[in-house]
Amino acid sequence: MVKSERLQGEPVESTPSAAWLIGLAAWFIPGSGHLLLKKWGRAAMMGGVVWLSFFIGLAMGGHMFDLSPDGTTATSMFDWSVLIQVPPMIADLGTGIAYVVTWLLDISFKEDPVQAARTTYEYGTNFLLIAGLMNYLTMLDAFDVATGRKS
Amino acid sequence: MKHFLVMCLFAALASVVFGVISKDTTRERWIYGVKVFAEFIIIGLALGWLLYFIP
Repeated sequence: MVKSERLQGEPVESTPSAAWLIGLAAWFIPGSGHLLLKKWGRAAMMGGVVWLSFFIGLAMGGHMFDLSPDGTTATSMFDWSVLIQVPPMIADLGTGIAYVVTWLLDISFKEDPVQAARTTYEYGTNFLLIAGLMNYLTMLDAFDVATGRKS
Repeated sequence: MKHFLVMCLFAALASVVFGVISKDTTRERWIYGVKVFAEFIIIGLALGWLLYFIP
């Protein structure tokens, strides 16, 4: 059977809009997607891991990434030194509200030589990146559960 | 030692998420989580020794 025949024969179920909202909530507040789905244990474990990883990263003096040019080496948004920060910024952005709050309060975004000299600086930066990436996985899991693809 | 403990903490956090999202039953999750944790540690140590000899 060719693909087009199969698609005509089998009706495609549309994704319920609640699933998109749960996915959005799961991204914005880590753990909230599973809370909305009443998956208490999974919410506590996965949300807890993301928040714990985020706060450990902050405590270690990790650096968070955004797209603002630093003014010394880069002067525009399309400078190479700014564009190279896009992938880590996407990873950091995964922490949702935590990223927004730290960005608004300008915590961990400054290029501070004293902070960078800390032994745990690189570890902290990686914990912050991983917190965001793990929350993307958590978000996708919540989305799959909400659509019924996963139990 | 502190570096090793931080690596263990990192591996533990990541393996919890991988374990929970990847499998269906609690037993399978535990087994997979422990496996991922062990892989993180073993590969981390192996890479550490490998990089030690590279100037």
